[in-house]
Amino acid sequence: MERLPYILVLVAWGFVSLGHLLPDVIGERLRAHLRSVAGLAVAVHAITLVVVGAMAPYETGFPEALSAASLGVGIAYVSVANQRLRALGMLLGPLALVLLGTAQVVPHRTVTALQETGVSPWLPIHLGLMFAGLAGFALSFVVGIVYLWARKRLKQKKFQGMARLPSLELLDRIQFRSMLFGFVFLTLGIGAGGAWAAASLRDAWEIDPKVWFTLLIWAWYGAALQVRLVAGRRGRWTALFSIVGFGGMLFSLVGLNFLLGGWHGYGG
Amino acid sequence: MVADGDRLLAVGLSHHTAPVEVRERVAFDEDAVRQTLNRLVRHEQIAEEAFLISTCNRVELYAVPRSVEGLQAFFGSYRGPTGERIDPYLYWYRGRDAVRHLFKVASSLDSLVVGEPQILGQVKDAVRLAEETSTLGRLLHPLTQRTLSVAKLVRSSTEIGQNRVGIGNAGVDLAMQIFGSLDGRRAMLVGVGEMGRQVARALLSAGLSELLVANRTFERSVELASEHGGTPVPYERLADYLPRADIVITATGAQHPILTVPMIRQALRDRRYRTLFLVDLAVPRNIDPGVAELDEAYLFNVDDLSRVVEEGKAAREQAARQALALVDDEADRFLASLREIDVATYLRAMNDACETIRAAEIERSRKLVSTLQPAQLEQLDAMTKAMVKKLLHKQMMAVRAAAKSGDEEKLRILMEPWSEEER
Repeated sequence: MERLPYILVLVAWGFVSLGHLLPDVIGERLRAHLRSVAGLAVAVHAITLVVVGAMAPYETGFPEALSAASLGVGIAYVSVANQRLRALGMLLGPLALVLLGTAQVVPHRTVTALQETGVSPWLPIHLGLMFAGLAGFALSFVVGIVYLWARKRLKQKKFQGMARLPSLELLDRIQFRSMLFGFVFLTLGIGAGGAWAAASLRDAWEIDPKVWFTLLIWAWYGAALQVRLVAGRRGRWTALFSIVGFGGMLFSLVGLNFLLGGWHGYGG
Repeated sequence: MVADGDRLLAVGLSHHTAPVEVRERVAFDEDAVRQTLNRLVRHEQIAEEAFLISTCNRVELYAVPRSVEGLQAFFGSYRGPTGERIDPYLYWYRGRDAVRHLFKVASSLDSLVVGEPQILGQVKDAVRLAEETSTLGRLLHPLTQRTLSVAKLVRSSTEIGQNRVGIGNAGVDLAMQIFGSLDGRRAMLVGVGEMGRQVARALLSAGLSELLVANRTFERSVELASEHGGTPVPYERLADYLPRADIVITATGAQHPILTVPMIRQALRDRRYRTLFLVDLAVPRNIDPGVAELDEAYLFNVDDLSRVVEEGKAAREQAARQALALVDDEADRFLASLREIDVATYLRAMNDACETIRAAEIERSRKLVSTLQPAQLEQLDAMTKAMVKKLLHKQMMAVRAAAKSGDEEKLRILMEPWSEEER
């Protein structure tokens, strides 16, 4: 029963992805509704996440993290995938599908260390802010890839199907704004994590490697914004910063949690 | 009684059938459209419903005629302002072909320049005029509504409106691909070559905010600037003005590059690395090809632009094929939906007829029995409603079944007692 909403959301993303990747299978008429279907999927997903989270506040394991990441990507899809930005939907839709699909099949591992700390509202706040930040960086990453690709095509003078791509200026604006959004939420999320540690751990408090790594990522994105706002280098520079930064983010989310013990590790 | 799409008739002339001398004389203004619609539907009662599109390239009447002969006679006797006959130039479409033709017209597939966007607005105006004169009915009302939505569907789901012809528009297409919009952008035209001027003109009409013009002889740039509403700048100070331009178009007769890599690099630095779009239309080239290697510079030469034009042509042909297939589908869907509408109209007619009788009877009882309490009246009301509903049920099922199987004779017999004339 608990899985049913996720299966519905998966089916919805499957439909959306099919609509982008094999448009002829879906047909003109249904394709006009891709965004509404995605919106519905995001709503069901968010409600489920909140309800399930309220029932079992410490089940913040790896599948939940992937599922939350998928929701973040889904929100990004609904906010940008309109007519002119179909190329973005083509990447974001399947990404949401793959993340949620993986969440359904990976073994359930939770952070056992968390169950001894008692209830603190800072924990869900910390997680929510971090995933909002992740969603921003994910959008910036995807748009960055599209930007580099569109730029390369223009530089190499490949004009076929040109009108289907959004303009470079628009892509650049979106990759910057979503990076800024991600940075603000990452900053707040780090703060909330510190507040949780101070409230729940008191003397047992220590900085684990994931915290160090996250601070590094924070500094990296901070530098990316500096380069853009102070030195004026945008476009390709922002895209490259964004791609590397998101790679670090993913490594932190998936890799580090399995390698490490402590407050961020899965059964280390 | 059967309002099927077969009765629809489209009559018209367009750039396909009539020369401009004829078209310009038969074009209708808004008042003439209203008068003609009134004449056809009210005064002479040639048609039950009608609407008329009149643009500089076409005049078309869509009508549900009472008799086709009547309409033919109308056009046979029609005389333009200088007394000429128009019937030799007319094409006639009927039923599905008429629906399909209207969808094609509104989707700009029948236009002189396929994909031009004005026609949809003109069709909207025509619909509004017909609505104001109340000449749209059971067939033309849904048809006109569907036409507008089909036209929008064609525009949004194919690339019919995206590619335009000509070297100037190729420049606009590239600029749009880089900037998204030309609002607030400044371009600099260097030299007065014809192709450069074409691109500058196209950019201005696509919304460019400012045009700077530089030419070796200052008088010529003043002349050109005033012609296009631009600002002349002295040729010697080209490098000073360069950082202000988002778009640079070169078309001079110079034998060596006049814009070198160091110049553009400096300009980019001065404009804080905002994107620069360069179009070099001169032969030999005016801009050092090495400029293309700079990160924020997008350089295109005359061959690149003509390739954009070629790609545009191919894409437009493909889009037109897609759009035609879509229009065919939509025409079939519309005709199918008409049959569904008919059933709904029949059922409503039956209901309305019974409701009129029922309400009259209730009113009679209320007058006859003055002691009826509100609760009793309410009960009486509910009881009679239920009776009518149950009595009609089987009849309605039979109508639905007949409509579904397309048995028009049976439908006619079933509906006979309910038709307007009977009551």
